[in-house]
Order: sequence, then C-alpha cells, then structure tokens
Amino acid sequence: MNYPVWELPMGGGVLIAVVSILHVFVSHFAIGGGLWLVVTEMRANRNRDLDLRAFVKRHSRFFLLLTLVFGAISGVGIWTTIGLVSPHGTSALIHGYVWGWAMEWVFFFIEIAAAIVYYYGWDKLNTNVHEAIGWIYFGAAFISLVIINGIITFMLTPGGWLENQNFWTGFFNPTYRPSLVIRTFAGTAIAGMFTLLTAANLARGNFRGRVTRWNAGWAFFSMLGVIGGAFWYKSAIGVWDANEALLGAIPVLPVVAGYFKIGLIITTALAVIPLLVPKLWNKGLVAVLLIVGLMTMGAGEWLREAGRKPFVINGYMYSTGMLVSDTARVEDAGMAASARWISPEAATSEVRLGHDLYLAYCQVCHTMDGYNGLRPFLAQWDEETVASLVPLTGHMRALMPPWYGTEEENAALTAYLMTEKPPEPGLWPADPVAAEQLAWDISCGLCHTVSGFRPLIDSFAGQSPEEIDGFLDESGDIVDEMPAYFGTAEQRAALVRFLHKMNPPEGAGDQAAARPGGNEGRDS
Amino acid sequence: MMPAVIVPAPDALPLPAPVFLLQILLHLTFLLHLVAMNAMLGGLILTFYARLKGGDPSAPWTKLADTLSKVTPSLVAATVTLGVAPLLFLQTIYGQFFFTSSILMGWGWFSVVVVLIFAYYGTYLQSFKGRALGGSRTPLLGVTLLLFLWIGFMFSNNTSLMLNVKEWAAMYFASPKGLHLNLGDAQLAPRYMHMVLGSVAVAGLMLAWWGRARVRAADPSGEFMVTVGMNAFTWLTLVNILIGLWYYVAQPAHVRKLFMGGDITATALFGVGFVLGIVMVVAGFRGSKHGSRIELWPLTMLTLIQLVTMIMMRDTVRNGTLGADFRPATFEVQPQVLNLVIFAVMLVGGLVLLFWMLRQFYVAWNR
Ligand code: HEC
Ligand code: HEC
Ligand code: HEM
Repeated sequence: MNYPVWELPMGGGVLIAVVSILHVFVSHFAIGGGLWLVVTEMRANRNRDLDLRAFVKRHSRFFLLLTLVFGAISGVGIWTTIGLVSPHGTSALIHGYVWGWAMEWVFFFIEIAAAIVYYYGWDKLNTNVHEAIGWIYFGAAFISLVIINGIITFMLTPGGWLENQNFWTGFFNPTYRPSLVIRTFAGTAIAGMFTLLTAANLARGNFRGRVTRWNAGWAFFSMLGVIGGAFWYKSAIGVWDANEALLGAIPVLPVVAGYFKIGLIITTALAVIPLLVPKLWNKGLVAVLLIVGLMTMGAGEWLREAGRKPFVINGYMYSTGMLVSDTARVEDAGMAASARWISPEAATSEVRLGHDLYLAYCQVCHTMDGYNGLRPFLAQWDEETVASLVPLTGHMRALMPPWYGTEEENAALTAYLMTEKPPEPGLWPADPVAAEQLAWDISCGLCHTVSGFRPLIDSFAGQSPEEIDGFLDESGDIVDEMPAYFGTAEQRAALVRFLHKMNPPEGAGDQAAARPGGNEGRDS
Repeated sequence: MMPAVIVPAPDALPLPAPVFLLQILLHLTFLLHLVAMNAMLGGLILTFYARLKGGDPSAPWTKLADTLSKVTPSLVAATVTLGVAPLLFLQTIYGQFFFTSSILMGWGWFSVVVVLIFAYYGTYLQSFKGRALGGSRTPLLGVTLLLFLWIGFMFSNNTSLMLNVKEWAAMYFASPKGLHLNLGDAQLAPRYMHMVLGSVAVAGLMLAWWGRARVRAADPSGEFMVTVGMNAFTWLTLVNILIGLWYYVAQPAHVRKLFMGGDITATALFGVGFVLGIVMVVAGFRGSKHGSRIELWPLTMLTLIQLVTMIMMRDTVRNGTLGADFRPATFEVQPQVLNLVIFAVMLVGGLVLLFWMLRQFYVAWNR
C-alpha cells in the first residue's frame, strides 16, 4: 500500500521461499557445525588421534567455503528479498528491532573473523589458542541464533507486544524457547549430515567407520532433540488452535505438515543406519539424507510462514502492509485512497484502477499462472461471478486480508480481472469426477471445505439432487458473506452431483461438526 | 498527464534512537565498509592489472598478483560484514526512500546477492586453486572482477535512485516488473567512477604500506609493491579530482548552490575536499621519489580525512536532494536506552575479542 509492488512472474513468496530455505539449512549448519568442529578437534587432540584431526581440518575447508560464502551471503539475501517483497514488514522489523539487529551484527562479525582465523590458523596457532578460537566461533554463532530467534518468532507469536510494543516482550514471546531448542538441535543434526558427507569421501576402512559412527551420533541424537522441541513448540504456540483451523482451511497445509512429520521420521531413521552399521553407509545415502533433511526443514519453515497468514506480523500488520489498527480508517477512506501507488491514469481508466488495486492488495500473495494462480479460476468464471466474489475475498477460507472496496473499486478490480481471463473458455473436464471436483473448487470450495473449515458435510445430508439444486437458487440470501450461485448449467449439474455425493455415511459427520468453526474472529 | 510525485510514509513504529545517533552510526560504519571495499575492489583491480602485465611465475607483476590473490577472499568477508551495519542504519533512517528504489530496481537489486555468491567463490578459486587454473586463470579473474564491478554499479544505482524521487512514479507506472535502473540520472556515471577510481587509489596506498613492511622485514619484493601502490594512489587521485568536479556539475542546481555559499558547512566541505585532493596528489608525487623510505602516515591521515569529508558531502547531497521529502524532525522517537547500552557493551567486547584473535593470528604467522 505504502510501497510500490514488485510484479514477479513466479510470485514474491516463492522467491523468498527459495532463498530462505537454502539459507536456513546452511546457516543452521554454520551453528551446529561450529560446535562439531571444536568438539571433534578437542577429542582428536586429547586422544592424540591424528587421523581425526586431519579429518576435522579437511572438513573445515568445506565448512568455510559453504558457510562463509553461501551461508553469509544468502542471509544478506533473505534480508534483501524480504525488503523487496515485503518492504513494510521489513521496515517494521527494523524499526522495532534496530538494536536487536545491531547486536546480531556484532556477533556476525566475530563469527566471520573467528571462522577465518580458525581456518587459516590450523597448524600455525598453538592448540589451545586454536581450540579457543573454535569456541569463540561457536559462541558467537550461537548467540546470533539466540538473537535472531527472538525476532523470527516474534513475527508469528508477538504475544504481549501487541499491547505494549516493548522490545523484550516481543522478543521473549510464547514460542521463543521451543523454537530455540528446535533450531539448536537442527543445527547439530545438520552438522552430523554434512560431516557424514565428508566422511563418505574417505577411503573405506577402520577410520572411516569410526568417524561415520561419531557423525551419525550427532545427526541421530540431535534429531531426537528436534522432535522433542517440535512437540514442545506445538503445545507452546498459544495460537495453535487458530492454526489447526488454518490447516483445515487451506488444503495444501495439512499435506505440508504431513511432509514435515514424515521428513522428521525418515531423517531420524536414516541416521540410525550409519550409527549401527557404518559399513552400509555410502555417498548415495548421504545424498538422500541431505535432501530429505533440506526438504523437512523447508516444510517446517513453510508451515511457520503459512501460520502467519494473512499477516506479516501476526495481529499487527497484514501481508499487504495494512495495519490492523488502521483497518477502520481504510474502510472509511476506501482502498484506492489508502494506497499510494495508484497511477493518475486510474482516474479515467477503470481497468487501470483495477490493475493498480490488484498490485497493491493482491499481488503479494497471488500470481496469474504460477503460485496461487488466479487465471485457472478466471477461466471458469463469467463477469457476474467475479463481480460477486471480489467484495467477498476477505471472507474466503484462504484467510485473506479484509477487502473494503467501494462499489467503484469492486467494479474496477472486476474489470481488471476480466482482462486476465483467457480469451477461449476454460476447458471443462470430460471425466465426471474431475468435473465435480472442479465445480466445487471454483464455487463453494472457495469458502467452505467438506469437513474442515466451515464444513458442509452435514448441510445436505439426506437431500435429493433437486433439493440441493433448489438451495443453489437461494444461497445468496442466507448470509451477506455468501454470494448467489452463478455457475453455468454444466458447472451447476456437476456441483449438485458433488454435494449430493458428499453426504456422509451414518455417523461420520460428528467428528467434522466438532471441528473449530473457523477463523471468522481474525477477519474482524 | 504529469504523473504525481509519490513518497511512502515513514514507518508507523517510532525510531528506537534519535536520528542524529543513527546518522552517526550510519556514517561510522559506512566509513569502515568503504575502507574494506576499497581494499577489496581496488585490490582486485590491481591484481587484474598485474596479471595482465604478468609474465613468467617469477616476474614481479605475477608475484604481486599471487600475493594479492591470497588475501582477497578475506577482504570480501570484511567488506560484506562491514556493509551489513550501514545497510541496517540506512534502512532505518531512509527506509521510505531506499525500499522504494530497491523495488523499482527489483531484479537488479536482487542480482547483487546472486552475483556476490559467484564473485566471492571466484576469489576463493584464485586463492585456493591458483596456478592450477592454468590459462583460464586471468580470464576467470576478469570475470570475477566484472561481477564485483556490477555489484558496485548496482549500489551506485540504488543509492542515487533513492534520491531521484521525482522519477519514481513515472517509472513504476510504466512497469512494475522491477527492471529499472537509474541510468537517466546525470550523476550516476561520475558517482560510480568516483567510487571505483577512489577504491584503486586507496588500495594503492594500502599496498604501499604492505610493501614498506616487507622491505623492513628484509623482503626486497616490497620495493615493487611500494612503487605500484604509490603510482596508483597518486595518478588516480589526480584523475579523481576531475571526476569529482564532474560529479558536482551533474548535481541539480539547488544542490550545487548549497556547495557554492548556500550552506556554510557544505561550502566548507567542498573547499576542504578540493584542496585536500590537490595536497594528496602533490604529496604523493613528492613522496614517491623516496621509494620505500616514503613517509606514509601523513598521506594516510590526509586520505582518511578526505574519506570522511566525502562521506559528509554525500550526506549533504542526500539530504539536500531529498529536501522537503525527508523530514527527520517529524519522526517519532522512543529511545530504547537499555538496548542501546547492551549493544554498546557487546560492541566493545566484540572489538576486544576481534583484536585478540587477530593478534594471536598475527603473532603465529610471523613466527
Ligand atoms: C495474505 C495473502 C493473500 C492476499 C493479500 C490475497 N489473497 Fe487471495 N488467496 C490467498 C490464498 C493463499 C489463496 C488460496 C488458498 C488455497 O486454496 O489453498 C487465495 C485464494 C483466492 C481466490 C480463490 C482462488 C484460488 O486461487 O484459490 C481468489 C479469487 C482470490 N484469492 C482473490 C484475491 C484477490 C482479488 C485479492 C486482492 C483483493 C487477494 N486474493 C488477496 C492469499 C491471499
Ligand atoms: C464467498 C464465500 C462463500 C461461498 C463462495 C459459499 N459460501 Fe456458503 N457460507 C459462507 C459463509 C461466510 C457462511 C456463514 C456460515 C459461517 O459463518 O460459518 C456460509 C454458510 C453456508 C451454509 C449454511 C450454514 C451451514 O454451515 O450449514 C450453507 C449450507 C452453505 N454456506 C453452502 C454453500 C454452498 C453449497 C456453496 C456453493 C454453491 C457456498 N456455500 C458458497 C460463505 C460462502
Ligand atoms: C562485496 C561487494 C560490494 C561492493 C563492491 C560494494 C560497493 C559499494 C559501493 C561502490 C558503494 C557506493 C555506492 C554509491 O553511493 O555510489 C557502496 C555503498 C554501500 N554498500 Fe557496499 N558493496 C559491496 C557489498 C555490500 C554488502 C554485502 C552490503 C550490505 C550487506 C553493502 C552495504 C552498503 C551500503 C549500505 C552502502 C550505502 C551506504 C550509504 O549510502 O550511506 N555493501 N558499496
């Protein structure tokens, strides 16, 4: 609203996801791997184990190249990317937490300097000093996690900050401690994974078996810590109820949550192999472990990001930059008047006004053809449908920010969206089941689910197709948030079949009905 | 129809420190970034030049390039690390301008990150693989250098586009795809060239220091380093005086006026900068006659003062150009005193630790 919006073909969210998932994996390695380096070096020194010492030295070059270059720069990269995609959110984080970032920076430079001195100091510094530098490195890296963790968790669970806007209240928020536990163990787990990689490059033999087992221990026991932390997190996140509803509202999220859980299990199970039978371990398995680990971490971060929807800072600022405290003013003034970057041309062109509104209020989360693409939906809708849905976007199950368009603005957004509708009518699937699903997805499915959020599973129990068809005639009269049905005859027939088939077998509906009723509270 | 001039509102949250304090931190940390960046970028340019002049492995130019290649990666680390802090303070004070110009540049600004990763690895390639790269060593170095020059160019684009407020709306309404640069701005070229040439000059001065230390440690290769360094310093500073004047001429009229009596401080800075430049050149030429027995402290002090002057002139240009669009006096401030103190304590502790580590390292390497 306040800032211009970067129109990205794949969507800003995807760009952030790519940069941050890669960064997060490597930056956690930078922490846990630092601990591994110094602990393993000390072990080698104490036991006068020259092979192990050589292994640590060898691994430290890989460590330096991966964390110092990719890790550090991709971190600057996340910052750059969120500044581009979510400038208002970044600005708020910086304003509230300048001193947090500044403290973080102190440990960042100690960390970088220590890494360099550690690497170039091998065999030059005396052993005690070298080990001390290793501890300084790990200490600095860990403290930078202690700091950044406060700022990251703040965004999802700001807790009492919403009332007092106090730095430390937001910092030590409800998910601070469990998140720190998860991240610390994730770091040492990833350290185990990457050192298993270095070990897999050794010649087969006794020594390789020994290091493989040692590294596997790091991976395996840390994974247990991650899992424990995840349970704690789940119970600590006071807004988890709301999240449960969110998981029900957006079908892809339970799938991601499933990946996360399965990923944790697979990673842990994979780490057992080298722990028990190091001989079986090889490069192929390392690759699988690293990839699964990366994907699991990605799923976890994704859930955390999605859990904030539709906010950047939960309860304070929407993804579009609108402040919760500002909604009343926006409702009064209208959407166009509340956004700065509306071109002068919009005064005379309805489509231009719609386009600019779309950029200001929808583009952060949507693309046309890619991530959260709208075109496949538009292909199936006529103008009347779009016009009836536009004012209701804030009420759909996707938990979008409220939309307070004036009549003129609704018409403009509709006009613009219609220009993005493909010229040829959307293909209607020949397969009846696919057709029924699509008929649902483009209408009732926008706001309801079958048995999760705002469930309909019981609504048509025992009704005949004719009765259901009759309901569609009057669906617009029930509540303001529900539009009249505008589908084509073909769509309508398929939808009636879908709703009719949805009827639960005896008794199965109880559970669905008991689910939380939804997130309407968040809209207000 | 004339498009409107649009400036985003400052952040709704109050600033956690008075603006002047954040300004000081911005300038201080930027000075550090500048020195590191000069050593790195200027050093890289000198390395590339030395490779081109090079010859067989024992030729002085080749040896110089080998020596420099070993330190570049750590200089990149220093540049980046010292760049993060001014970026933070810049976004805190000037966020409404900086985020906007970054978004207009979109891909160009994003490219900095990707390019930097490759460029950084490029310097490690030169350092770790070195001669093993064979005939592709110099071309690869050239590519690495180009990548770094690209990064610097993006920075110059962004820091000048953030001031070019009156062009924003038209740019954005023409295309929101993030493909703009500030190429239409007359001050972009001199600004960028001033920075790049300055970096080689400063790196030259550092090279002279390094060479002199070598000579004192009875390593004759230092003599050559002093000569090359002083030549770079003196000649490029001479050229840079002219580019600086061009930079001045390219300013909008109301900013030029500030430097010509409109504002006492600005005018004084301009005068000091100009005179210092000439003194640096003269002192450089005269000092060069003494070979490795050259007095470097006076030159270094002059250069440091000049850098500070330049940073303050930049600030004058920035605030002068933004004019009424930037009104720090209206920012709400709610100082977080405790956090500031914690930061200061950590900073001091961190510097002590840093110093201790570098000292250990230095002692060990010279054993
Ligand atoms: C906070 C991010 C966000 C914003 C802002 C947002 N949406 Fe959405 N919207 C979503 C998500 C996520 C979905 C899809 C949920 C799903 O089905 O998984 C969605 C779904 C939709 C749908 C249903 C089709 C589909 O893709 O599932 C329409 C239509 C829609 N949005 C229109 C809009 C319009 C118009 C605006 C601007 C006024 C807007 N949205 C703003 C996040 C957002
Ligand atoms: C734009 C959003 C939207 C769309 C599209 C929509 N509904 Fe609704 N519907 C609502 C809202 C909001 C309620 C109010 C109930 C609530 O708050 O949980 C509701 C209530 C209902 C109810 C009555 C309450 C209940 O839970 O039994 C039925 C039945 C219903 N919808 C069926 C449908 C059917 C069938 C379709 C597709 C033709 C449909 N809705 C499309 C938003 C929508
Ligand atoms: C390593 C490659 C880098 C190079 C070659 C480089 C070069 C430059 C140059 C040429 C400028 C001056 C631009 C101008 O005003 O004309 C500059 C400014 C700046 N750089 Fe860097 N930079 C690099 C990396 C970074 C990084 C990684 C950061 C931050 C994370 C950073 C932060 C800054 C900031 C904040 C400024 C502007 C300060 C101000 O305007 O007050 N730099 N840099």
